[in-house]
Amino acid sequence: MVEIVLPGSKITSGIIKADGTYIENDSTYASVVGIFDEEKRHFIPLEGLWYPKEGDRVVGTIVTRRISAYVVDLNSPYKGIIMTKFEHSRLEEGDIIEATVREFKEFDDAMVVVLTRPKRLFGGVLLNIKPTKVPRVIGKGNTMIDQITQATKCSIIVGLNGTVWLKGGDINLATEAIKTIELQAHVSGLTDKIKNMLEKKGK
Amino acid sequence: MQKPELIKDGKRLDGRDFEELRPLKIVAGIIKNATGSAYLEWGNNKVLAAVYGPKEVLPKHLADPEKAIVKCRYAMAPFSSLEEHGRAGPNRRATEISKVTKEVFENLIMLEKFPSTEIDIFIEILQSDGGTRSAGITAAGVALADSGIPIRDIPFAVAGGKIGDKLAIDFNKIEDNYSDADIPIAISPNLDRVLLLQMDGKMTKEEFSRYLDMVERVSKQIISAQKNALLEKYKVNG
Repeated sequence: MVEIVLPGSKITSGIIKADGTYIENDSTYASVVGIFDEEKRHFIPLEGLWYPKEGDRVVGTIVTRRISAYVVDLNSPYKGIIMTKFEHSRLEEGDIIEATVREFKEFDDAMVVVLTRPKRLFGGVLLNIKPTKVPRVIGKGNTMIDQITQATKCSIIVGLNGTVWLKGGDINLATEAIKTIELQAHVSGLTDKIKNMLEKKGK
Repeated sequence: MQKPELIKDGKRLDGRDFEELRPLKIVAGIIKNATGSAYLEWGNNKVLAAVYGPKEVLPKHLADPEKAIVKCRYAMAPFSSLEEHGRAGPNRRATEISKVTKEVFENLIMLEKFPSTEIDIFIEILQSDGGTRSAGITAAGVALADSGIPIRDIPFAVAGGKIGDKLAIDFNKIEDNYSDADIPIAISPNLDRVLLLQMDGKMTKEEFSRYLDMVERVSKQIISAQKNALLEKYKVNG
Protein backbone atom coordinates (compact mmCIF):
# COMPACT_ATOMS: atom_id res chain seq x y z
CA MET A 1 0.00 0.00 0.00
CA VAL A 2 1.53 3.29 -1.09
CA GLU A 3 0.01 6.48 0.27
CA ILE A 4 0.72 10.19 0.52
CA VAL A 5 1.45 11.32 4.06
CA LEU A 6 1.35 14.89 5.32
CA PRO A 7 3.55 16.62 7.90
CA GLY A 8 2.64 15.71 11.44
CA SER A 9 0.95 12.41 10.64
CA LYS A 10 2.28 9.18 12.03
CA ILE A 11 3.98 7.05 9.39
CA THR A 12 4.38 3.95 11.50
CA SER A 13 5.06 2.83 15.03
CA GLY A 14 8.67 1.86 15.04
CA ILE A 15 11.68 3.73 13.83
CA ILE A 16 12.49 4.51 10.21
CA LYS A 17 15.39 6.77 9.45
CA ALA A 18 14.79 8.85 6.36
CA ASP A 19 14.92 12.48 5.24
CA GLY A 20 11.72 14.33 6.05
CA THR A 21 10.80 12.35 9.14
CA TYR A 22 11.16 12.75 12.89
CA ILE A 23 10.96 10.32 15.76
CA GLU A 24 8.94 10.80 18.91
CA ASN A 25 7.97 8.21 21.51
CA ASP A 26 9.33 5.36 19.38
CA SER A 27 7.12 6.25 16.44
CA THR A 28 8.07 7.87 13.15
CA TYR A 29 6.23 10.96 11.95
CA ALA A 30 6.48 12.83 8.65
CA SER A 31 7.80 16.38 8.67
CA VAL A 32 7.25 17.00 4.95
CA VAL A 33 4.75 15.79 2.37
CA GLY A 34 5.92 12.40 1.13
CA ILE A 35 5.03 8.90 -0.01
CA PHE A 36 5.19 5.94 2.35
CA ASP A 37 5.50 2.42 1.00
CA GLU A 38 4.19 0.15 3.75
CA GLU A 39 5.65 -3.09 2.38
CA LYS A 40 9.14 -1.79 1.79
CA ARG A 41 8.91 0.47 4.86
CA HIS A 42 10.34 3.24 2.76
CA PHE A 43 9.57 6.98 2.93
CA ILE A 44 10.19 9.26 -0.06
CA PRO A 45 9.82 13.00 0.51
CA LEU A 46 7.91 14.84 -2.23
CA GLU A 47 8.78 18.31 -0.99
CA GLY A 48 11.98 19.29 0.71
CA LEU A 49 15.20 21.19 0.65
CA TRP A 50 18.81 20.29 0.03
CA TYR A 51 20.96 19.52 3.04
CA PRO A 52 24.63 19.79 2.00
CA LYS A 53 26.48 16.52 2.56
CA GLU A 54 30.08 15.61 1.97
CA GLY A 55 30.60 14.24 -1.52
CA ASP A 56 27.50 15.79 -3.13
CA ARG A 57 28.06 16.87 -6.74
CA VAL A 58 26.56 20.33 -7.22
CA VAL A 59 26.19 22.91 -9.99
CA GLY A 60 26.50 26.62 -9.27
CA THR A 61 27.52 30.05 -10.50
CA ILE A 62 30.53 32.08 -9.34
CA VAL A 63 29.21 35.25 -7.72
CA THR A 64 32.38 37.06 -6.67
CA ARG A 65 36.04 36.53 -6.16
CA ARG A 66 37.46 37.36 -2.78
CA ILE A 67 41.11 37.38 -1.77
CA SER A 68 41.25 33.78 -0.68
CA ALA A 69 38.07 32.27 -2.06
CA TYR A 70 35.45 32.25 -4.78
CA VAL A 71 31.85 32.65 -3.65
CA VAL A 72 29.39 30.34 -5.41
CA ASP A 73 25.62 30.67 -5.66
CA LEU A 74 24.12 27.21 -5.12
CA ASN A 75 20.41 28.08 -5.18
CA SER A 76 20.28 27.31 -1.46
CA PRO A 77 20.27 29.35 1.77
CA TYR A 78 23.98 28.70 2.08
CA LYS A 79 26.76 30.09 -0.08
CA GLY A 80 29.38 27.86 -1.58
CA ILE A 81 33.05 28.80 -1.37
CA ILE A 82 36.08 27.53 -3.23
CA MET A 83 39.37 28.16 -1.45
CA THR A 84 41.89 29.45 -3.97
CA LYS A 85 44.68 28.08 -1.79
CA PHE A 86 43.82 24.51 -2.71
CA GLU A 87 42.32 24.87 -6.16
CA HIS A 88 44.36 26.17 -9.02
CA SER A 89 41.73 26.62 -11.70
CA ARG A 90 41.18 30.21 -12.81
CA LEU A 91 37.58 31.19 -12.55
CA GLU A 92 35.73 34.40 -13.34
CA GLU A 93 32.60 36.02 -12.06
CA GLY A 94 29.59 34.45 -13.78
CA ASP A 95 31.26 31.17 -14.63
CA ILE A 96 29.13 28.07 -14.23
CA ILE A 97 30.89 25.28 -12.35
CA GLU A 98 30.35 21.72 -11.26
CA ALA A 99 31.98 20.85 -7.93
CA THR A 100 31.99 18.43 -5.00
CA VAL A 101 31.05 19.33 -1.44
CA ARG A 102 34.01 18.86 0.86
CA GLU A 103 32.57 20.26 4.06
CA PHE A 104 29.59 22.10 5.47
CA LYS A 105 30.84 24.32 8.23
CA GLU A 106 30.79 27.65 10.00
CA PHE A 107 33.03 30.22 8.41
CA ASP A 108 33.17 33.94 8.99
CA ASP A 109 30.04 33.85 11.21
CA ALA A 110 27.95 32.08 8.58
CA MET A 111 27.35 28.52 7.49
CA VAL A 112 29.06 27.84 4.18
CA VAL A 113 29.45 24.92 1.82
CA VAL A 114 33.12 24.34 1.11
CA LEU A 115 33.54 23.04 -2.43
CA THR A 116 36.41 21.24 -4.02
CA ARG A 117 37.49 20.05 -7.48
CA PRO A 118 35.59 22.72 -9.46
CA LYS A 119 35.14 22.07 -13.14
CA ARG A 120 34.17 24.96 -15.35
CA LEU A 121 31.21 24.34 -17.64
CA PHE A 122 31.36 26.35 -20.86
CA GLY A 123 28.16 27.87 -22.24
CA GLY A 124 24.86 26.16 -21.72
CA VAL A 125 21.87 27.17 -19.64
CA LEU A 126 20.85 26.58 -16.03
CA LEU A 127 17.52 25.27 -14.80
CA ASN A 128 16.43 25.04 -11.17
CA ILE A 129 14.29 22.16 -9.95
CA LYS A 130 13.23 21.01 -6.50
CA PRO A 131 16.13 19.16 -4.86
CA THR A 132 13.86 16.29 -3.78
CA LYS A 133 13.09 15.53 -7.43
CA VAL A 134 16.74 15.11 -8.41
CA PRO A 135 16.86 11.31 -7.82
CA ARG A 136 13.79 10.93 -10.05
CA VAL A 137 15.35 13.04 -12.83
CA ILE A 138 18.46 10.87 -12.74
CA GLY A 139 16.47 7.64 -12.44
CA LYS A 140 17.51 4.21 -11.23
CA GLY A 141 21.00 3.56 -12.58
CA ASN A 142 20.82 6.77 -14.64
CA THR A 143 18.02 5.34 -16.83
CA MET A 144 15.95 8.51 -16.94
CA ILE A 145 18.77 10.94 -17.65
CA ASP A 146 20.37 8.65 -20.26
CA GLN A 147 17.05 8.41 -22.03
CA ILE A 148 16.71 12.19 -22.21
CA THR A 149 20.32 12.63 -23.32
CA GLN A 150 19.89 10.11 -26.13
CA ALA A 151 16.63 11.54 -27.40
CA THR A 152 17.64 15.19 -27.31
CA LYS A 153 21.42 14.96 -27.91
CA CYS A 154 21.78 17.40 -25.07
CA SER A 155 24.54 17.24 -22.47
CA ILE A 156 22.96 17.40 -19.04
CA ILE A 157 24.54 17.67 -15.60
CA VAL A 158 22.22 17.43 -12.62
CA GLY A 159 23.49 18.92 -9.35
CA LEU A 160 22.14 17.50 -6.11
CA ASN A 161 21.32 21.06 -5.07
CA GLY A 162 18.61 21.13 -7.75
CA THR A 163 20.48 23.08 -10.40
CA VAL A 164 20.61 21.47 -13.82
CA TRP A 165 23.04 22.46 -16.59
CA LEU A 166 22.03 21.84 -20.20
CA LYS A 167 23.98 22.37 -23.39
CA GLY A 168 23.55 21.58 -27.05
CA GLY A 169 20.90 19.50 -28.81
CA ASP A 170 17.23 20.13 -28.27
CA ILE A 171 17.36 22.10 -25.03
CA ASN A 172 13.68 23.02 -25.11
CA LEU A 173 12.59 19.40 -25.25
CA ALA A 174 15.03 18.37 -22.52
CA THR A 175 13.79 21.21 -20.30
CA GLU A 176 10.22 20.18 -20.91
CA ALA A 177 11.02 16.57 -20.02
CA ILE A 178 12.78 17.56 -16.80
CA LYS A 179 9.94 19.90 -15.80
CA THR A 180 7.43 17.10 -16.42
CA ILE A 181 9.43 14.75 -14.22
CA GLU A 182 9.54 17.39 -11.50
CA LEU A 183 5.77 17.80 -11.57
CA GLN A 184 4.95 14.09 -11.75
CA ALA A 185 7.71 12.63 -9.59
CA HIS A 186 5.16 10.74 -7.48
CA VAL A 187 3.58 8.96 -10.46
CA SER A 188 4.67 5.38 -11.16
CA GLY A 189 5.78 4.29 -14.63
CA LEU A 190 7.24 7.71 -15.33
CA THR A 191 10.20 6.43 -17.36
CA ASP A 192 7.85 5.01 -20.02
CA LYS A 193 5.73 8.13 -20.00
CA ILE A 194 8.76 10.32 -20.62
CA LYS A 195 9.94 7.90 -23.32
CA ASN A 196 6.64 8.31 -25.17
CA MET A 197 6.77 12.04 -24.77
CA LEU A 198 10.32 12.24 -26.14
CA GLU A 199 9.49 10.00 -29.09
CA LYS A 200 6.40 11.98 -29.98
CA LYS A 201 7.97 15.41 -29.77
CA GLY A 202 11.48 14.50 -30.85
CA LYS A 203 10.61 14.27 -34.54
CA MET B 1 -23.79 52.16 20.64
CA GLN B 2 -26.82 49.94 20.32
CA LYS B 3 -25.88 46.28 20.32
CA PRO B 4 -27.47 44.43 17.39
CA GLU B 5 -29.40 41.24 17.97
CA LEU B 6 -27.12 38.38 17.04
CA ILE B 7 -29.53 35.47 17.46
CA LYS B 8 -32.89 35.25 15.72
CA ASP B 9 -35.23 32.24 16.05
CA GLY B 10 -32.47 30.09 17.53
CA LYS B 11 -30.17 30.68 14.56
CA ARG B 12 -27.33 33.07 13.94
CA LEU B 13 -27.68 36.09 11.67
CA ASP B 14 -26.29 34.32 8.62
CA GLY B 15 -28.56 31.33 9.25
CA ARG B 16 -25.88 29.07 10.68
CA ASP B 17 -26.19 26.79 13.68
CA PHE B 18 -24.03 27.52 16.69
CA GLU B 19 -21.63 24.77 15.81
CA GLU B 20 -21.52 25.32 12.07
CA LEU B 21 -18.48 26.60 10.20
CA ARG B 22 -18.64 28.91 7.24
CA PRO B 23 -17.74 27.22 3.91
CA LEU B 24 -14.00 26.63 3.79
CA LYS B 25 -11.92 26.21 0.65
CA ILE B 26 -8.12 25.99 0.43
CA VAL B 27 -5.83 25.72 -2.60
CA ALA B 28 -2.14 24.89 -2.12
CA GLY B 29 0.81 26.00 -4.20
CA ILE B 30 -0.64 28.85 -6.21
CA ILE B 31 2.29 31.27 -6.04
CA LYS B 32 5.02 29.75 -8.19
CA ASN B 33 7.84 32.04 -7.05
CA ALA B 34 7.33 31.19 -3.38
CA THR B 35 8.81 28.14 -1.68
CA GLY B 36 5.29 27.33 -0.55
CA SER B 37 1.93 29.03 -0.76
CA ALA B 38 -1.78 28.69 -0.14
CA TYR B 39 -5.00 30.54 -0.89
CA LEU B 40 -7.91 30.26 1.50
CA GLU B 41 -11.54 31.27 1.39
CA TRP B 42 -13.40 30.95 4.66
CA GLY B 43 -16.84 32.46 4.37
CA ASN B 44 -16.12 35.99 3.18
CA ASN B 45 -12.50 35.89 4.31
CA LYS B 46 -10.00 35.68 1.49
CA VAL B 47 -6.41 35.06 2.48
CA LEU B 48 -3.14 34.50 0.62
CA ALA B 49 -0.23 32.95 2.47
CA ALA B 50 3.30 32.53 1.11
CA VAL B 51 6.47 31.09 2.60
CA TYR B 52 9.99 31.95 1.45
CA GLY B 53 13.24 30.45 2.64
CA PRO B 54 15.30 29.32 4.36
CA LYS B 55 17.55 32.12 3.14
CA GLU B 56 20.34 34.36 4.29
CA VAL B 57 19.38 36.53 7.29
CA LEU B 58 19.11 40.27 6.67
CA PRO B 59 20.17 42.29 8.61
CA LYS B 60 23.01 39.96 9.44
CA HIS B 61 23.18 40.60 13.19
CA LEU B 62 19.77 38.95 13.68
CA ALA B 63 21.16 35.58 12.61
CA ASP B 64 21.18 32.79 15.19
CA PRO B 65 24.09 30.38 14.65
CA GLU B 66 22.11 27.54 16.24
CA LYS B 67 18.79 27.77 14.45
CA ALA B 68 16.72 29.54 11.83
CA ILE B 69 14.70 32.61 12.72
CA VAL B 70 11.10 33.11 11.64
CA LYS B 71 9.77 36.40 10.32
CA CYS B 72 6.07 36.82 9.93
CA ARG B 73 4.11 39.58 8.30
CA TYR B 74 0.35 39.73 8.66
CA ALA B 75 -1.16 42.52 6.60
CA MET B 76 -4.56 43.58 5.46
CA ALA B 77 -4.94 44.87 1.94
CA PRO B 78 -6.25 48.45 1.72
CA PHE B 79 -9.40 47.17 0.05
CA SER B 80 -9.93 44.28 2.43
CA SER B 81 -12.16 45.47 5.17
CA LEU B 82 -15.77 46.17 5.83
CA GLU B 83 -16.08 49.53 7.54
CA GLU B 84 -13.53 49.81 10.31
CA HIS B 85 -12.63 46.26 11.08
CA GLY B 86 -8.88 46.60 10.95
CA ARG B 87 -7.27 49.06 8.62
CA ALA B 88 -4.49 48.54 6.12
CA GLY B 89 -0.89 49.40 6.84
CA PRO B 90 1.39 48.62 9.74
CA ASN B 91 -0.49 49.35 12.93
CA ARG B 92 -0.75 48.05 16.47
CA ARG B 93 -3.19 45.32 15.53
CA ALA B 94 -1.19 43.98 12.57
CA THR B 95 2.02 44.01 14.61
CA GLU B 96 0.39 42.01 17.38
CA ILE B 97 -1.08 39.43 15.02
CA SER B 98 2.26 39.08 13.22
CA LYS B 99 3.91 38.37 16.55
CA VAL B 100 1.46 35.75 17.78
CA THR B 101 1.44 34.05 14.38
CA LYS B 102 5.22 33.95 14.36
CA GLU B 103 5.19 32.24 17.75
CA VAL B 104 2.78 29.59 16.50
CA PHE B 105 5.18 28.62 13.74
CA GLU B 106 8.35 28.91 15.79
CA ASN B 107 6.99 26.03 17.82
CA LEU B 108 6.37 23.84 14.77
CA ILE B 109 9.17 24.43 12.26
CA MET B 110 12.31 22.37 12.84
CA LEU B 111 14.44 25.46 13.14
CA GLU B 112 17.55 23.62 14.32
CA LYS B 113 17.96 22.10 10.85
CA PHE B 114 18.77 25.45 9.26
CA PRO B 115 21.26 27.37 11.39
CA SER B 116 21.80 31.07 10.59
CA THR B 117 18.97 31.37 8.09
CA GLU B 118 15.59 33.00 8.08
CA ILE B 119 12.17 31.76 7.05
CA ASP B 120 9.62 34.35 5.95
CA ILE B 121 5.89 33.86 6.31
CA PHE B 122 3.61 36.35 4.60
CA ILE B 123 -0.10 36.48 5.29
CA GLU B 124 -2.11 38.88 3.20
CA ILE B 125 -5.78 39.44 3.96
CA LEU B 126 -7.52 40.26 0.69
CA GLN B 127 -11.02 40.40 2.11
CA SER B 128 -11.89 40.32 5.77
CA ASP B 129 -15.00 39.21 7.61
CA GLY B 130 -13.95 38.29 11.12
CA GLY B 131 -11.51 35.67 12.31
CA THR B 132 -8.73 36.67 9.93
CA ARG B 133 -5.88 35.73 12.27
CA SER B 134 -7.29 32.20 12.47
CA ALA B 135 -7.78 32.09 8.72
CA GLY B 136 -4.20 33.34 8.28
CA ILE B 137 -2.71 30.64 10.50
CA THR B 138 -4.78 27.91 8.83
CA ALA B 139 -3.58 29.09 5.40
CA ALA B 140 0.05 29.54 6.45
CA GLY B 141 0.07 25.98 7.83
CA VAL B 142 -0.82 24.67 4.39
CA ALA B 143 1.73 26.98 2.74
CA LEU B 144 4.47 25.61 5.01
CA ALA B 145 3.56 22.01 4.28
CA ASP B 146 3.62 22.90 0.58
CA SER B 147 7.08 24.45 0.91
CA GLY B 148 8.91 21.34 2.09
CA ILE B 149 10.34 23.08 5.14
CA PRO B 150 10.25 20.36 7.83
CA ILE B 151 7.48 20.98 10.38
CA ARG B 152 6.26 18.87 13.27
CA ASP B 153 2.61 19.38 12.43
CA ILE B 154 0.17 21.44 10.35
CA PRO B 155 -1.68 23.79 12.72
CA PHE B 156 -5.24 24.98 12.32
CA ALA B 157 -6.97 27.89 14.00
CA VAL B 158 -10.52 29.00 14.57
CA ALA B 159 -12.22 31.82 16.47
CA GLY B 160 -15.48 31.63 18.37
CA GLY B 161 -16.88 32.52 21.75
CA LYS B 162 -20.00 33.50 23.59
CA ILE B 163 -23.09 35.30 22.32
CA GLY B 164 -25.45 36.06 25.21
CA ASP B 165 -25.59 32.75 27.05
CA LYS B 166 -24.82 30.62 23.99
CA LEU B 167 -21.48 29.40 22.74
CA ALA B 168 -20.77 29.65 19.03
CA ILE B 169 -17.88 28.84 16.70
CA ASP B 170 -16.35 30.63 13.72
CA PHE B 171 -17.50 34.21 14.31
CA ASN B 172 -18.08 36.51 11.39
CA LYS B 173 -17.36 40.21 11.63
CA ILE B 174 -20.54 41.36 13.31
CA GLU B 175 -20.45 38.54 15.87
CA ASP B 176 -16.79 39.27 16.47
CA ASN B 177 -17.56 42.93 17.26
CA TYR B 178 -20.60 42.50 19.49
CA SER B 179 -20.10 39.11 21.15
CA ASP B 180 -19.64 38.71 24.91
CA ALA B 181 -16.44 36.75 24.51
CA ASP B 182 -14.23 36.15 21.49
CA ILE B 183 -11.54 33.46 21.63
CA PRO B 184 -9.19 32.71 18.72
CA ILE B 185 -7.37 29.44 19.27
CA ALA B 186 -4.66 27.67 17.25
CA ILE B 187 -4.06 23.98 17.78
CA SER B 188 -1.56 21.44 16.57
CA PRO B 189 -3.84 18.41 16.16
CA ASN B 190 -1.24 15.63 16.12
CA LEU B 191 0.89 17.03 18.92
CA ASP B 192 -2.30 17.90 20.82
CA ARG B 193 -0.99 21.30 21.84
CA VAL B 194 -2.52 24.75 21.98
CA LEU B 195 -0.26 27.20 20.17
CA LEU B 196 -2.29 30.38 20.41
CA LEU B 197 -5.05 31.41 22.75
CA GLN B 198 -6.38 34.93 23.07
CA MET B 199 -9.56 36.23 24.63
CA ASP B 200 -11.70 39.33 24.50
CA GLY B 201 -14.55 39.56 27.00
CA LYS B 202 -15.57 37.25 29.80
CA MET B 203 -16.36 33.58 30.12
CA THR B 204 -16.72 31.16 33.02
CA LYS B 205 -14.41 28.19 33.50
CA GLU B 206 -17.19 25.75 32.71
CA GLU B 207 -18.11 27.62 29.51
CA PHE B 208 -14.50 27.63 28.44
CA SER B 209 -14.17 23.88 28.71
CA ARG B 210 -17.40 23.49 26.74
CA TYR B 211 -15.91 25.85 24.14
CA LEU B 212 -12.79 23.69 23.88
CA ASP B 213 -14.95 20.61 23.28
CA MET B 214 -16.76 22.51 20.56
CA VAL B 215 -13.46 23.42 18.89
CA GLU B 216 -12.46 19.79 18.96
CA ARG B 217 -15.68 18.73 17.27
CA VAL B 218 -15.35 21.21 14.39
CA SER B 219 -11.60 20.69 14.00
CA LYS B 220 -12.08 17.65 11.75
CA GLN B 221 -13.64 19.78 9.03
CA ILE B 222 -10.79 22.29 9.05
CA ILE B 223 -8.11 19.60 9.07
CA SER B 224 -9.72 17.73 6.21
CA ALA B 225 -9.93 20.95 4.15
CA GLN B 226 -6.19 21.45 4.72
CA LYS B 227 -5.42 17.83 3.80
CA ASN B 228 -7.52 17.95 0.65
CA ALA B 229 -5.75 21.12 -0.47
CA LEU B 230 -2.37 19.39 -0.27
CA LEU B 231 -3.50 16.09 -1.79
CA GLU B 232 -5.32 17.86 -4.61
CA LYS B 233 -2.01 19.31 -5.77
CA TYR B 234 -0.68 15.83 -6.51
CA LYS B 235 -3.90 14.63 -8.09
CA VAL B 236 -3.87 17.43 -10.64
CA ASN B 237 -0.32 16.67 -11.67
CA GLY B 238 -0.75 12.92 -11.74
